[in-house]
This record gives sequence, structure tokens and C-alpha cells, in this order.
Amino acid sequence: MRGMNGVGESLRESAVFNFAGAVTMVIDDSPFALELTAQAVLGFGIKVRHACSSAAEAIGVLRDHPVDLILVDCEMPGMSGYEFVRWLRRSGLEPNAFAPVIMTAAHVRRSKVSEARDCGANFLITKPFSAGVLLERIVWVARDARPFLEVGDYFGPDRRFRSEPWEGLERRSEEIRKAEFEAQRKASIEL
Amino acid sequence: MTVITHNRRRSRLSTLIDQPGGVSAGVALAQAKANLAEMEERSRAVIEEQVTALATLQPSIQDASRILDQAYDHSSAVIDAAGPFELKDLCAAAANLCDLIDAAPEDKPFDWRIVTVHAQALRLLLTLPIEAVEARSQVLASLKDVLKAKVPGGAQSD
Repeated sequence: MRGMNGVGESLRESAVFNFAGAVTMVIDDSPFALELTAQAVLGFGIKVRHACSSAAEAIGVLRDHPVDLILVDCEMPGMSGYEFVRWLRRSGLEPNAFAPVIMTAAHVRRSKVSEARDCGANFLITKPFSAGVLLERIVWVARDARPFLEVGDYFGPDRRFRSEPWEGLERRSEEIRKAEFEAQRKASIEL
Repeated sequence: MTVITHNRRRSRLSTLIDQPGGVSAGVALAQAKANLAEMEERSRAVIEEQVTALATLQPSIQDASRILDQAYDHSSAVIDAAGPFELKDLCAAAANLCDLIDAAPEDKPFDWRIVTVHAQALRLLLTLPIEAVEARSQVLASLKDVLKAKVPGGAQSD
């Protein structure tokens, strides 16, 4: 995923952003790892509102409180991070089901690679990562404008990062709408 | 296959990010690094704790899967704690063990010497001075050799 849509490009030092009001949730079964994440994001101006040691605890919070950003560990006892994100996307909770989710992992088991891709998270960061990488990814998910798709078992942001020309019949409704709008705009100019 | 596209919606985060005020990336990173620096000593203690726990694990035939999962968890915890502090060799050694455990065939007993060697290597990396670059590289290279020997294609990225 790296290097697409601006991901992987360094942030300019002078770039200014404001996350002061963001209601943020961090979920990690390791208290130390949770604190590391919380301290890093605090530097960015993000105060962690909900620090949860399990997916079950997070679910309880999400049912009653809107959240703007979720950082969740992949490997946790009980409900894993992957299962949690899958639940979240299908939860029907507004607006939480569509909240930006960044997953973190010390190591991704080979058997979990497809789960990581298909659970519906906006991004997965593998450790070790620097504070700079974390900031870059948070800024990126904040600007992530991909539509949400339901395809079979998948519910989450469009997994296609590339925007390459397609020679076949356009079937994406958004692209069709854009093309129709463009045609109408051109026609109105010619009038 | 049916594809349902939900309209693009701006998350509240995308609105907040551009509100007046806030901090620059340079200031944010400096603040984050300062916050993390205060945790570096504790991080080292956590790493040492996890390496000790890894070293004291005993193989078990009856409970092989659970013990192996514990070794994986200790190794992952080393990466968690070492990650933000540029302790790349510790992370690489721990990740090497995670790769080996992850690739372990279920129908064969796991060669426990792999865990022992990694625990020893992690201890060595913790004690070696930072300037002992060559010695650190050698430790990592020997671990990579174990991965290459046990998992065909496992160290292709190096």
C-alpha cells in the first residue's frame, strides 16, 4: 500500500493540522504498548479519550459514544483486532461504523494477511514504526476520501488505491455520475 | 458479485484537521519524541522482562501449541516495546523468531533450540554497546541463517 495516494511521502515540517477535538480510541491488550501509542499521539495534539484493553471493552464504549479515530492492535486475546474491525464495519453504528481505523501489528502471521486486507481497516502499520510514520498515517486517514464498499463479505474503504485507466465498460456509479455531470457541463457550455 | 457503494462521507476527523489552530508537523514530532523519550527506560525494562520470560519458557510435548504461542507473544512484545526507540536490531531479531514460529509445521515438533538461540541473541543485543555495529550485524546474520535454513524463502527481503 505504501507509496500510493501520497502514503509514504514525508509530511512537510511546516504542515499544520489540528486534531485537538478528535475523540480518539486506542485498543491494545498490552498496557505498555497502549501507553506508547497514547504518548506518541499526545505529541500530535491528540488526547486519547478511550483507552481500552480489549475489543469487548471497546465495543461497549462504541455503542454509546461517537469516535473520530480508532487505533487498534491486531493480535489480542479473545476478539482479535481483525475481528473487531469486521464487527465495527457491520455494526450499523452511526457514525462509528465508518470511523477511520488504523491497525498496528508487531508481526502479522501469514495466516492473517488476508484477514488484515479484508477486515475493513483504513490502514495497517507494522512495527517498528517511528512517530513520524504514525503521524503521516493519521493525517492520511483523515484525508482518506475512498468510498465505502460492500462486496460479498467485505465492508470497508475501497481497497483499490490505484486509479488506472480502464478500457472496459465503466460500472462504478460514482464514475458514471461524474461522466454524466461532465457531459452536461460541456453541453451547457456549447449552448 | 453485487457491489454496494456508500456515498463518500467526510469523517469528522477530516473536518477537524483543517480547523484553525493546531500544530505543525515539526512541532508535533518533537513533542511526540519528547513524550516517548520519557518512556525509554521503562521500555528497556519491558524488553528485558520479555526476553527473560522467553528464555525461561520450557518446551512441552502436551502443550506445544500454547507454549509456542507464548514464545510468539513474548517476541511480539519485544517489538512493541523496542519499536519507537530505533532499536532496530532487537526488533529484527524478535521478528525473525516470530517468522520462524509462524512458519512452524503443525505436523512436526518445533525445534526448541530456535527459541533458545533467539533468547540468547536478544540478551546479547541488549548488552552489546551501540557502537559494536559489526558484532550486532553478525548476531542478526546468524539468526537470518536459521530462518533461511528452516523457512525456504523466509528471508527473501534481505
